[in-house]
Amino acid sequence: MITTKSASSEQQVEDQQPRRRRRKLPLSFLLAGVVILGAVAYLIYANTQSNAAYDLTVSQLFQCKSCLAQDVRVEGTVLKGSIQNKSATQQLSFVISDGSKSLPVVYTGVVPDIFSAGIQVVVEGRYSGQGAFQATTLLTKCPSKFTVATPTP
Amino acid sequence: MHFSDLGVIALILALGFAVYTLVAAVVGAARSSPQLVASARRGALVVTFFLLLASAALVISFLTHDFGVVYVADQSSRSMPWYFVAAAFYSGQEGSLLYWALMLSVFSAIFVVTSRRAPAQLVPYVIATLMAIETFFVLMLITVSSPFVRFPGQPPADGAGLNPLLRDPGMLVHPPTLLMGFMSFSLPYAFAVAAMITGRLDSEWLRSIRRWMLASWCIQTAGLLLGMWWSYHVLGWGGYWEWDPVENSALFPWLTATAFLHSTMVQERRGMLKVWNLGLVIASFALSIFGTFEVRSGLISSVHSFAYSAIGGYFLLFLCIVIVFSLGLFIFRLPRLRPEQEFDSLISREGSFLLNNFLLVGITAATLWGTLFPLISQAFGHLSEEVGAPFYNRVDGPIFAALILAMGIGPLLAWRRTGTHTLWRNLLTPTVIAAACALILPLAGVRDIAANVGFTVCAFTAGAILYELWRGMRVRHSHGEPYPVALVLLIQRYRRRYGGYIVHLGLICLAIGVIGSQVFQQEQDANLKPGQSVTIGDYRLVYFGNTDLTYPDVEIISAQLQVWHDGQLQEYIYPARLFYPNFQNEPASSISITTEGLTDLYVFLADWNGASQASLRIFLNPLVPLIWCGGLLMLLGGIICWWPERRRRRSDVSRETPSVARPAASKQEKPAVASATLASARAGEGGET
Repeated sequence: MITTKSASSEQQVEDQQPRRRRRKLPLSFLLAGVVILGAVAYLIYANTQSNAAYDLTVSQLFQCKSCLAQDVRVEGTVLKGSIQNKSATQQLSFVISDGSKSLPVVYTGVVPDIFSAGIQVVVEGRYSGQGAFQATTLLTKCPSKFTVATPTP
Repeated sequence: MHFSDLGVIALILALGFAVYTLVAAVVGAARSSPQLVASARRGALVVTFFLLLASAALVISFLTHDFGVVYVADQSSRSMPWYFVAAAFYSGQEGSLLYWALMLSVFSAIFVVTSRRAPAQLVPYVIATLMAIETFFVLMLITVSSPFVRFPGQPPADGAGLNPLLRDPGMLVHPPTLLMGFMSFSLPYAFAVAAMITGRLDSEWLRSIRRWMLASWCIQTAGLLLGMWWSYHVLGWGGYWEWDPVENSALFPWLTATAFLHSTMVQERRGMLKVWNLGLVIASFALSIFGTFEVRSGLISSVHSFAYSAIGGYFLLFLCIVIVFSLGLFIFRLPRLRPEQEFDSLISREGSFLLNNFLLVGITAATLWGTLFPLISQAFGHLSEEVGAPFYNRVDGPIFAALILAMGIGPLLAWRRTGTHTLWRNLLTPTVIAAACALILPLAGVRDIAANVGFTVCAFTAGAILYELWRGMRVRHSHGEPYPVALVLLIQRYRRRYGGYIVHLGLICLAIGVIGSQVFQQEQDANLKPGQSVTIGDYRLVYFGNTDLTYPDVEIISAQLQVWHDGQLQEYIYPARLFYPNFQNEPASSISITTEGLTDLYVFLADWNGASQASLRIFLNPLVPLIWCGGLLMLLGGIICWWPERRRRRSDVSRETPSVARPAASKQEKPAVASATLASARAGEGGET
């Protein structure tokens, strides 16, 4: 016992009721636990279903039938000389490649600063199976936040 | 002889002494030899000395621009101001590991110096555990990740310099705090290991571990807040938390530590949840090691990733050893971890703590699931899938709302069981406040249902806490104290209880800020020529042109804009981009943030063309200042909880042994607590928790 003082008022409550034999963990606790666990599991399950986006390379995108007409993320390198900037509409088009296959991309919005030919990008959006990939987000893969590369001694 | 050679020698000596201390502490405790234990204590201090020496060697190598050292050449350059050169110490992987090892040794030294207050039997095992962790880190520093490696040939004339994103005042405070936070979970873990080995899991142990955990919690809170603030004012995407794997990994131990700090009160009062609490301590440490492993291994790709390197594998190995070792001890000690009492009623203080724990662990599990989902989905399908920020917002949002609701109800409940009548009486005021809030908000223009629910929950809990504070003050006021004095004395007297309330108020403040900026953020992209303007909310921005300033170490391109608010010229702003030598493709940004009332006008210069064209990304972020206020409040509350009791109370029992003196000291204040709370005439109102 850490303290007896605090129990003084509780004691009255206790005294009014006959002391029942308690189970190790009351049913109410078990039920509450199951309800919370179930709710959390459901939240995770439902939102994973609705928010998961495939993370693909360009070749994987072409192979994946179920990836069409849903949001996917595609990673690739911007091909040299492929960047076209239509400043009137702020529309940017370029081609990304994973070395073997290449994919044309159109994107409208703010372009990350380090976006240029030859860097790795991740585009998020939809691909209808033909034409250009309609990107809603364009992310550049920073070489690193902390170090560029660790030289091997 | 270079300073870097001195560093290598110091590291090797630190390793030697760490191993010696580990062995001496274990043997000394097993054979109960006080001399050996005393030697281990001194050994721990020697390790601290050598790590300080190694760190000093690295800092001096930086400050003297010794570019013969690979790490120095990678991270700094001559043109950087001296404070960034010094801060480059922890900017890369090798240096941050050294910083971690240094902090661990400094904390070990603090523990050794203050260990007279800790239960004597535990001390050698705590030292041994800390030194085992230290050995791993120093071993890594000597073998695979040494910051002191020199170029074999001619050193470069100048270094590459620090990554532009890191050249910010945030660099001086955020990484050291967060790394220290990660490291600090070692101490509660060491206490847990010591307790499991000795089998002493009593209230005295609980008090020590609780204070160290509270310290870790405060440091980690500060680190997370600084990270949010840095991300907000440097990265230019208008937000402060991206649910990036790197950010999440810093949140995991914080969540489990928060859960522990609550459930430990149940153990303190009722002797229950011992297994659970130990599990949380072990989980916090394991998650902090996991975080380090995760961000460095390249296992999960993050948009701002760290350098991938071989050390990931070693961290995984270390993590496995930690988990296996802890689980082994845990199972060995399971018979001693029987609860002393049993749960009575769900509607009780311990019931609410349990609920709080379920929710916090639920958030941890959900976030961990989201972070690891690319790996999980790859293991089950052949394609990797990712979940983004919406997943976390939709999963963690509702759980956080439930947590805040529980936070309002919990403190109103008594230990063991609460009468329904008392409960309703206590709930009445906050419920009325919440209902009023729910009704007024739509009239005030808040039509988003999720936001309204969120604000209402916050209003309920804030109402409950403020009502508690008010009642406490009223009782003291009726004894003749003016209200402000009553408040200060109340907090001073029952630090843990009222410190906790302050943390809760801070979290509510933060939650309001998060809801406000998530739901009501406005965003506008504009491409402007001089004289043109753009309107966002009540603000109008008029663009004038760009300026280009060149300094020796940086070139600054800034756009000049006028801010008009409600037809009044407020001020001129200059959102800018900074170009550093060697990083011409990665300009850092200087974002203009104008705070007016509770709204931030956030202007980011995205692109420009010559002197007379600029692309701006403009955000109107309502309630963001509340996030920082709330964060500071949480930190303040945490420090109040942690702050040591006045020594005066202990001095009159100082002739007794420390182990007797402490409980005696804490018992002394209990009558005062009881009388004050009885005066407030509340059923089941207990001491200070």
